[in-house]
Amino acid sequence: MLLKNFGFRFGVGAVAAVVAATIAFAGPIEDRQAAMKANGKAMGALVAILKGEAPYDAAVVKTSTDSMLANFDVFMKSFPEGSDTGAVETWAKPEIWSDMDGFKKAGDNAATAIKALAATTDEAGFKAAFPAVGGACKDCHDKFRKPKG
Amino acid sequence: MLFLVAALGAGIGWILSAPRPISAAVLPAHQGDAANGERLYNISGCFSCHKAAEGAPQADLPSGGRPLKTPIGLLYPPNLTPDDATGLGRWSEIEFVNAVQRGLSPWGTHYIPALPYTSYAHMRVEDVLDIKAYLATLAPVSSVVPAADIPLSFFVRRGLGLWKWIGLDTSPFVADSKRNESWNRGAYLVNAPGHCGECHTPRTIFMTSDQSRFMQGGPHPEGEGKVPSLRDLIGRGRYKDAADLASALEFGEIMGYDKLSSGGMGAVQTNMSKLPKEDIAAIAEYLAELK
Repeated sequence: MLLKNFGFRFGVGAVAAVVAATIAFAGPIEDRQAAMKANGKAMGALVAILKGEAPYDAAVVKTSTDSMLANFDVFMKSFPEGSDTGAVETWAKPEIWSDMDGFKKAGDNAATAIKALAATTDEAGFKAAFPAVGGACKDCHDKFRKPKG
Repeated sequence: MLFLVAALGAGIGWILSAPRPISAAVLPAHQGDAANGERLYNISGCFSCHKAAEGAPQADLPSGGRPLKTPIGLLYPPNLTPDDATGLGRWSEIEFVNAVQRGLSPWGTHYIPALPYTSYAHMRVEDVLDIKAYLATLAPVSSVVPAADIPLSFFVRRGLGLWKWIGLDTSPFVADSKRNESWNRGAYLVNAPGHCGECHTPRTIFMTSDQSRFMQGGPHPEGEGKVPSLRDLIGRGRYKDAADLASALEFGEIMGYDKLSSGGMGAVQTNMSKLPKEDIAAIAEYLAELK
């Protein structure tokens, strides 16, 4: 009886451990990739305005920049030690962990630029503030993202 | 007997691996045009590798010394400013042309083809001389760069002379008379000074450019990630049309064009953004028609 109970407990414990491990260790790469994908979508809406393919719309700018800031928050928190490789292919360069301060600074620059873009109130302001966002994207991708092919 | 064969083999190897420079006698009389040289300097991407070392006072000058990771070891690209002692100040025109187009130093050793002389070999020699004229207008910077960190450096360098028999095609660029001027301009810029194929065309097992897979992409030369294919960029939906591609090359991620800033392409795009609009449009026209 005791043994049987032990077996049951062990089984439940093992399942719980596997589930926990799946959440803890398969998580960050998927989280940050989902965040960047959502960011790309928001950027798409902004770039359409920038290129004149869509009319300037303050509401779209607000939704998009809100979404980018929220995604970015998740993104920057999804690089725990050891998540340089995982079950999913990742393009994160080892420099993220060897130069975590530089990476965080690049992230802060991007967040600052997005906030400045969100604070614009007309089309001219929007167009003037956008390059800083793109420049922050480029700066960080250059240093910390592997080429994707 | 075995010794004789080995000695004979080594002798032949020594002869075949000798430098084959361009003779000063064939250089055209040419008045260097620094403005055209600056344009060629930007499309050739000289600065990307020869940029100033970390912390150097004049960060925008090509004074060299920043480590460059290559498959065979660390290189420290040299100083291109016209400093007499540590730069190109005393280099003659023919020395410069042989370095850029044949991968030969003035003292007769082979340069590692991280310097893309395999592409620069197709350039018009006048354009090469113009780059020299442009470099001569820069402020001289005294910058001594560390020696390359390559195992068996002497044998690797001398052996490159043998590799050049198969790896270095010195044929000049020939315009396609069936195509218009801007397409041809684009083809020249992409394939000669722009040296796009050095990364975007994969290599054979002999590390020579695999022309049967021209611009099809491949492994990244620094060993991380992949270099994308440049074939059928429009058909595959990467860009809407040639104009969209031109705007991507001009603005990159500043206008939200993703994928143009990883693996060194960010630096390439920064260089390209400095080109006149008609050159960027010509490059885009040529690339957009690569099926």
